[in-house]
Parts: sequence; C-alpha cells; structure tokens
Amino acid sequence: MKNQRLSLEEFKELFQDSFESQEQLLSEYNSFLSIFEQLDEAVVSELSSGQKAEIFKQSWQGQPQESPWICTLLNLFRQPALTFALGIVIGCILMSVVMDDPIELSGMASADELLEIEHTRYSRTYKGKIIDDFYSEFENPKILLEKAGESAPPQRTLHGTLDNGEIYVVWNL
Amino acid sequence: MNRQYPVSDEALIEAVKNGDRNAAAWLYNRYVDRVHRICYRIVLDPSQVQDCVQEVWLKVFRNIDRFQCSKSFAAWLNSVSANTAIDYYRKWIKRSSRIDSDEIRTVVTDENPGERKLDGALTQQRICEALEKISVNQRTAFILRYYEEMSINEIAETLGCTDGAVRTHISRSLLALRAKLAGKIDV
Repeated sequence: MKNQRLSLEEFKELFQDSFESQEQLLSEYNSFLSIFEQLDEAVVSELSSGQKAEIFKQSWQGQPQESPWICTLLNLFRQPALTFALGIVIGCILMSVVMDDPIELSGMASADELLEIEHTRYSRTYKGKIIDDFYSEFENPKILLEKAGESAPPQRTLHGTLDNGEIYVVWNL
Repeated sequence: MNRQYPVSDEALIEAVKNGDRNAAAWLYNRYVDRVHRICYRIVLDPSQVQDCVQEVWLKVFRNIDRFQCSKSFAAWLNSVSANTAIDYYRKWIKRSSRIDSDEIRTVVTDENPGERKLDGALTQQRICEALEKISVNQRTAFILRYYEEMSINEIAETLGCTDGAVRTHISRSLLALRAKLAGKIDV
C-alpha cells in the first residue's frame, strides 16, 4: 500500500468541515499518512503452492457436476419471468382440476344416519348419531317411546348398555 | 500452471462454464493471491484464511454461470471475496469463544522485545488488534479502498450500501486506526 492512496482531495472529502484551518487540515492529513506507513508494516503471508493446489482441488470438486441438459433446464428456471409464467400456468391447471372434480365438502351424515326411527303400532324407537352423541356415556343408546294401550299415556325410556354390554340400562326419561 | 497464460478472463470464464477444469485452474491462479489478500485482511486470523479462501472459490465456481461477461470479473470476484470473508468472520467470531486470544497476546508481550523478529511480530499483532477493533464492514470498506484500490462506488455496490455509508465507514475506520495505532509503533 502506498501512502499516496489517501490523496489530500479524498481526505478533504472524507473529513470536510472537521477542521478549522488549512494548516490544521494538513497537519491531520500528515498524521493519517503516518498511520498508513504503520499499516504497511503488516505483511500478508502468502499461501504455499501446496495450499493453493489443495484449495483449488476442493473448490473445483465441490461444485455440482451437472449434465448439460440439466444445466440448461436449471438455467431456464433461474429466469424470474419464466418461473412466474410457469407458476400461473400450473395454478390454472390445478384450479381447472379442482373445479371439474370438486372436493366433497359437504361431508355430513345423511338424516337417516343422524336419527333412525322405527315404528310399531304402540311404540317408536329413536336411535342414531344424535342419540349416540347426546348419551355418549352409554353404548348403543336408544329412546323408546311406547304406549301400553290406545288411551294410555306415552312413556319414554332410554335403553343402552355399559361396560361392553355387560350392564343393560333402562332409564326413565 | 503458467501465470502468463494469454487468454482473456472472458474466454476462460466461458470455458469454465462449459466445465473446463484447466480453464478454471488458469483463472484460479490468476486471482488466488488477490482473494487471499482480501480474506486475510478481513478475517485477520491466518489459521482461518485458507478455509475462507476455499469458500470464496467454491462460490465462484458454483455461481460462475450467473456471471455476465459484460461486467468486470475482477470486480465481481472482489465482491464475492469481501462478502464471503465478512460472513466467514462473523460466523467464526460467533463460534469461537476467543478466550485464549488474550493469553496468546500476553505471551507475545512478555517475551524479550530486543529481538528484531519479535518486533515484527509485535507490530503485526498490534496492527491486527487495531484492525480487529473496527467493525467488519468498516474494515472491509477500508481494505477495499486502500489495499485493492476500488472506487467508493464499487465498494458501495459490493457492500450493498450507499456511497455516503462507505465514506462514513472509511472515515470512521481511519479515525479508529489512528486512535489505536498512534504512538504504539516506532516506524
């Protein structure tokens, strides 16, 4: 590094308005030049030819060895405009697939599955998902609405089991 | 490898892009010392410089496809070298506890200062310490300007900042270096 590299003009530009007089500016400039002289004392040790060869070997081997057609393809994808256009095309294709074969979003159970009603002359039995959810502590719960006769008042009972069917429960509602 | 290889950078780069190992070796030989100098002055630790230089060349060979021959290869290489060295230095500072560095300095200072060889080592050590005390961005701006003779504008492009920021980096590093080195070394 040569001292002339920090020219007086550059020094003025770097430290403009920092000094009151031209003498002070020149004195400061000279003091900075002496710093450069000191920095010149620092020697950069050179790499040996062995080290250079090793670095080259490692660096060259470290680069991905792509076949030319892959290189070309990758280079194509490195162009932002092409990637953007391709993104739009792929998006459109996906949308058209989705629109032609819409996903079943109404994944709800049918009414029959929710509540099954069995009719007999004097009774009705209610069972299904609603009853299962409402009486979740019982296994296979069902509500039986029955009449002892034509004019008898209806009686509601809940039937179900506990402990894997070991206990049968009848509960007046 | 003949250092006087008469082929232009552009021709070598085109050949390297096509996977020519010999061309890569010529290009490498042409610029390895410059890369080493930049890395050495930014990283400041000789034991780390070889790895740093290798990282630079790995990046160069991996990304040479992106290099446009309309621009100066030397400027691009300076930029890759400086930025890689800055990253390397930051990573290295993070992972190194640097507890033992003080011990090393004490040992050097305690030895007989009369020997000329030791004077040189002490000078080197003090300059390294002074450079180490300024931030890595300031140091890089300073090195690129006064050791690699890059323009303020080129340094700004390399560091991704404005010309004004580069001037600030340089003036601060000059002031800091003068503060650290003033009166410390007999020239």
